Amino acid sequence: MQAAHATAARVGGRRPGLVGWLLLCPMLLWLAAFVVVPTLILAYASFTRADEDTGFPIYRGGLTFENYRRIVLDDDGHFLRTEQEEITTVDRDGTERVTGTHATTVIAAPYLRVFGSSLLYAGITTVLCVFVGYPMAWYIGRANERTRNRLLMLVMIPFWTGFLIRTYAWITILATDGLLNGLLQYTHAITQPFGMLYTPGAVVLGLVYSYLPFMILPIYGSVEKLDHTLVEAALDLGAGPLATFRKIILPLTRPGIAAGVLLVFVPAVGMYAISSLMGGGRTPMIGDVIQNQFFTGRDWPFGCALGITLVAMFVAAFAILAKFRSSVTGSDHAFRAR
Amino acid sequence: MNDATTPTRTRPFFGMALVNRLCGWWTALVLAFLYLPLALLIAYSFNASRLNVVWEGFTVRWYREMLANEPLIRALKNSVLIAGVTTILSVVIGTTGAWLLHSYRYRFRRLWEALVFVPIAVPEVIMGIGLLILFTAVAPGINGFLDSAFGAANETRFALGFVTTIIAHVTFCFPLVLVAVQARLADLDPAMEEAALDLGATPLVAFWRVIVPCIMPAIISGALMAFTLSMDEVLVTYFVCGPESKTLPLEIYDNVRKGLNPMLNAISAVFVAATAILVVIAERIRRIGR
Amino acid sequence: MKFIRVLLLLLAVLALPLTTFAAEKREVLNLFCWSEYVPQPVIEAFTKETGIKVNVENYDSNEKMLAKLLAGGAKYDLIQPSEYVVESLIKQGQLEELNRASLPNFKNLDAKFTDMAHDPGNKFSVPWMAGSVGIVVNTEKIKDEVTGYADVFSGKYRRRIVVLDDNREIVSWALATLGIPINDISKDTLAKARPVVKGWLPQIKAFDSDSPKTKFLKGDVDIGIVWSGEAALLWRETKGSGKFRFVLPKEGAHMFVDSLCIPKGAAHREAAEKFINHILKPEISALISKDFPYTNPNTAARALLAAEELGNPASYPPGATKLDIFKDIGKTAREIDRMMTDLRSR
Repeated sequence: MQAAHATAARVGGRRPGLVGWLLLCPMLLWLAAFVVVPTLILAYASFTRADEDTGFPIYRGGLTFENYRRIVLDDDGHFLRTEQEEITTVDRDGTERVTGTHATTVIAAPYLRVFGSSLLYAGITTVLCVFVGYPMAWYIGRANERTRNRLLMLVMIPFWTGFLIRTYAWITILATDGLLNGLLQYTHAITQPFGMLYTPGAVVLGLVYSYLPFMILPIYGSVEKLDHTLVEAALDLGAGPLATFRKIILPLTRPGIAAGVLLVFVPAVGMYAISSLMGGGRTPMIGDVIQNQFFTGRDWPFGCALGITLVAMFVAAFAILAKFRSSVTGSDHAFRAR
Repeated sequence: MNDATTPTRTRPFFGMALVNRLCGWWTALVLAFLYLPLALLIAYSFNASRLNVVWEGFTVRWYREMLANEPLIRALKNSVLIAGVTTILSVVIGTTGAWLLHSYRYRFRRLWEALVFVPIAVPEVIMGIGLLILFTAVAPGINGFLDSAFGAANETRFALGFVTTIIAHVTFCFPLVLVAVQARLADLDPAMEEAALDLGATPLVAFWRVIVPCIMPAIISGALMAFTLSMDEVLVTYFVCGPESKTLPLEIYDNVRKGLNPMLNAISAVFVAATAILVVIAERIRRIGR
Repeated sequence: MKFIRVLLLLLAVLALPLTTFAAEKREVLNLFCWSEYVPQPVIEAFTKETGIKVNVENYDSNEKMLAKLLAGGAKYDLIQPSEYVVESLIKQGQLEELNRASLPNFKNLDAKFTDMAHDPGNKFSVPWMAGSVGIVVNTEKIKDEVTGYADVFSGKYRRRIVVLDDNREIVSWALATLGIPINDISKDTLAKARPVVKGWLPQIKAFDSDSPKTKFLKGDVDIGIVWSGEAALLWRETKGSGKFRFVLPKEGAHMFVDSLCIPKGAAHREAAEKFINHILKPEISALISKDFPYTNPNTAARALLAAEELGNPASYPPGATKLDIFKDIGKTAREIDRMMTDLRSR
């Protein structure tokens, strides 16, 4: 193990020569041209004012922090707001009646609330994806090569049908007069069809369905690489399956899980369209709200500010995480050395 | 290894076997979940009713209509081309990038890693509009250069089209490959590359002969993700594509918005079947080649 | 690596047919239109007659079109904006003036849809289709008389309502119930509309501007406020059985007019004008009505429509409720977005 540690330091720790830099150049140039430049243009735009008619940024019209202020605070400059909410009860015939009031404190800025709910949705989605995806990735990773490649293809094929087509298929299944309700009624499990669509649950289902493969594939990569003799050794030494999983398997597949979390959570926060298709648009997500600034709100600078905030948030979280790890997805050279 | 003879070993091994068995069942269950919508859309592609509501009898009408729909077929071809080129470029950039960032201690390495991460985090509308602004800003310059370089007879024009679409797709696809490969490199035994280097291989040969075969599963899963994303993206594509480079998801999006059209079920079914068959053939070729 | 080689091989095979497209050289028309709004037969007939190849690109909202058009990355010859966008584009000098001499079929249009407030004298735009926004009721589930917005949101149909996912529309309905003109949008009028909208939102089951008819057909909603074209399709789908009734709200309905315009600097103006003249032909215009039963502004085309099409009450509503049109509201759009995001995100 000492030797392994030493070589780890040598391979991962070489200073790049000219060749090393030249090889990295294509990627860096690509990133500079197609990521850095557009992002900087829009970051600059996020400090401008919007043209009154078109909503486009006025690039030469002076700079302002107004857009960022509007994300955090409401029109009156408040961060929190106390509201008198009416308590309503719904009568048996469906009519609403006001029966009282109570005070609630909410975050005043609407856009900040949307950020919050998007993070929550993405978080739930990521956790579900890990739990659903891990056993599957494990099974695929432990199968023989032929089965493995077939299973991988099987996982990806449904996603080549087009997002809207898949989503419409789900809508057909979940609708009030849809297949699932029909099946449940046919088997007498329920007597009245109930509305599954256009609920937060349907949004989560849509998100999990969309992102599951992006969790399975990276975990699979780690599992496939896992040295099975370590698992056998632990079992031989009397550790139960659970302890083996916790002490050996989980730490060794952690890079895969981290990569999966990255590929699911981050895009899921910015996801658009699912909330309007599966959730009926009742709980807007930040991806939709950002789009609205460009497409209906006619305020490009504000849309840019929202987008840049989202990116900045992630990059910051990413940088903090990276400080504690030797590489993005968590290297376990440390584990090896131990 | 003969487990049956040593009773102390049977229990944990039995436990692991059970776990694997359970994982197998779980995999089947999840696959059923993944294929439920697919099965449904294939079924409805043969349904005589225009609406996905009730079964009104078997028909191949939608397949005939699909084949006669020139824009749809052209979009399918465009999409396959764009996704294919995107996948190859993403694999090349992503794999080399991951390996370089893994094996050298670059100055500002954290910054480069964070930059790779930006395309994953940036909302699609922001990326689409950013790239559109960039492409329109540089187009006159590039076209001026092309004209002066090739003279007045120059027909090549830089405009929104295949090139811009592929650039955009690679930009959001290659980080997926990079992240997948990096996760695998993280627990690659460094002794392997060391041994190759010690035996006199140049770093490039060591990479090609030792590292790449080792990380192949991660490359394949990265390539699959890149292909899938490229086949599925709508919003960035809307901003950067030209009239002749319209992709299938965009064409589907335009057609499905006002309610599902069974013709689109049909083209999805055909596409899925065709790719599945191609993959099987590719696997056969690979096995014969061995 | 064999994987990559196989991939390359497959790619080469698949890319082969693509090369044939590059060789084509003929006159083209770059049409930028609403998705599913220009039927394929209309385009095919045009190409057959003139030999001009039509490249179609689509958008699903006026602003999405503006974003791509005004960024200037692509060159379009013909666009299809709604009336308030036409007004705004004229104001910004972004449209080419039409040459009326090349549009002899303009005479087929109903005078009600020409010379409208957004483009006096039709110097820049020619109407394509018009429609209104109204209430659809599933009469099998809802027996009460529903006549206006207030009835929809009476509290009786909680979580059975679908509305357009369009913040300006929703606000305009609230203004209408308060008796405020729908184009009078200011901080002041928005403050008045706010409590009304706030009371409405919890009753809504889904927001959908794309295909609310599907939600009616699948039983997810029983009542809603939608485009008249959606209502017309529902009426057609149920073969006029009266299951879905279309009502123009008594508080005051509004209409929209989608038009064809030529953006500034279009490369193929002549082809664009030929296309406009083409769709003004009665038989071509009737083709559009066949696919999209909105209100056809073409009198000569209406004469070709079957009696049951003309009897579709959502396409050609009887009676005379006053119909307003939306005016361009510029920066107040963001005030609406702000208020609606605030109300919807809780």
